[in-house]
Amino acid sequence: MNPVERLYLDALEEATGRDEVPPPAPLLGVARARRRPATATVAWAAPYAGRVAAMDAVLASASAGDWASTVVEGWTLQQLVAHLTAKDGLVADDVGAPVLGPPMCGRDALERTAEMQAYEDARTPEETRETWREQAEVLCRHLTRVAPDTPSSPDGLPVPVRDAMLGRSLETWVHSDDAARTAELRLPPPVAGHLHPMADLCARLLPWTMLATGADAGGRTVRVTLTGPGGGTWLVPLSVDDPRRVREDAPGDAQAHIVTDVVDFCFLLGGRGAPETLPAEIEGDAGLAREVLVAAPAFSGP
Amino acid sequence: MGHPGDDALLHQRVVSGDESALAELYDRLAPLVFGLCVRVTRDRAIAEDLTQEVFLTFWERPLAFDPARGTLRAWLATIAHRRSVDHVRGEERKKASQLGPRLFEREPDPVEDTVLDAEDSVRVREAVRSLPTEQREALEMAYWGGRTYRQVAESLGLPEGTVKSRIRQALRQLAGMLAEEGVR
Repeated sequence: MNPVERLYLDALEEATGRDEVPPPAPLLGVARARRRPATATVAWAAPYAGRVAAMDAVLASASAGDWASTVVEGWTLQQLVAHLTAKDGLVADDVGAPVLGPPMCGRDALERTAEMQAYEDARTPEETRETWREQAEVLCRHLTRVAPDTPSSPDGLPVPVRDAMLGRSLETWVHSDDAARTAELRLPPPVAGHLHPMADLCARLLPWTMLATGADAGGRTVRVTLTGPGGGTWLVPLSVDDPRRVREDAPGDAQAHIVTDVVDFCFLLGGRGAPETLPAEIEGDAGLAREVLVAAPAFSGP
Repeated sequence: MGHPGDDALLHQRVVSGDESALAELYDRLAPLVFGLCVRVTRDRAIAEDLTQEVFLTFWERPLAFDPARGTLRAWLATIAHRRSVDHVRGEERKKASQLGPRLFEREPDPVEDTVLDAEDSVRVREAVRSLPTEQREALEMAYWGGRTYRQVAESLGLPEGTVKSRIRQALRQLAGMLAEEGVR
């Protein structure tokens, strides 16, 4: 915008009295009908509700061609959305919330995904979007009546539902970013308040990703500093049987210190970006730091 | 006027489905958008509808805006200007019957689209030239020279408050002159 245009706009703004401007109330009513706001839910599920609204914004901008394009895992956007509905439905099933779509034949995430994709195959992208969004909303509303430590196992292993929902936030985020890239849109990261609990989950997963990849943690510890809004510093004892838990801002010695961007780190855990090319500053035991980063994507799947 | 950082955060919040962010944005930019729509359409009722549509466009498809490519203020002003001009030219009705609702329309590129054509920017420059010297000086330093109010105050050896009110006065006078000239 050139100086003349800025001047023109400032002059218009200055000449318009605040009392002349129409009130915002009608706008907000219509806005709600055009694109649904994030569903009101408990604080620990708010990051998920925010990512669902963001995915919905990606879908709002998707063209007919985008819906049919292959996004990830050989799935079209429509199949990807069906996959999200399937996984959200597994959490819904765990906590007694309504499960949308065809009857659930089993608890395996990939089998349920295939069921949901077959069901959505005969429907329009708008119908697929609607079922996904509705499943997310009934789950969010239901969670207001669920204890956060209720077990849930969308990925096989039981975890407290509050962590399962952070996992759902992360997966919804990673896939909405996949979809945005396919549609040549740039998706901004979650607000800091939503990103921080997801980063905390990622830090707490590190001992488990080490275990899953067979890396020998051997009682060692790393400190992880995630930079940017929503980041922080975590002390991470790398053995799952270490009595010390992964904690933010905890004192204690670490053999290595990894400093990296909070968004890049969450995406690494989500299977996006290679550990070898992740921009990171490392102090101390570089070999250990590399083992931790290489193991980090261990739980990322479709 | 807001800062690029505010824009990025508001954008993140709107993308996350936070209605209060839309309300804040409206509070900040509705005077500009509404002023622009009134100026172009010369019809307050139409301008109210168009203003609502401009903000709805952003709420409904927030990813059409990319904070890396310009300010939200410029983006919304560009949409407001284009929609208003469309309305004046009677294109809205034609488009609605031919294409139906704007479902997949790409939003204007602020780099390509402008709120002022060449003739109108000449008129703005002329209007600035006809301002009283005191006002013109302060305005030119702030806009052409890209200086802050504080820097303008230092150059003119005046208190910052005086400069601020001088510029605001100049802007109001300018808006009046442009209205008479029919700049839209």
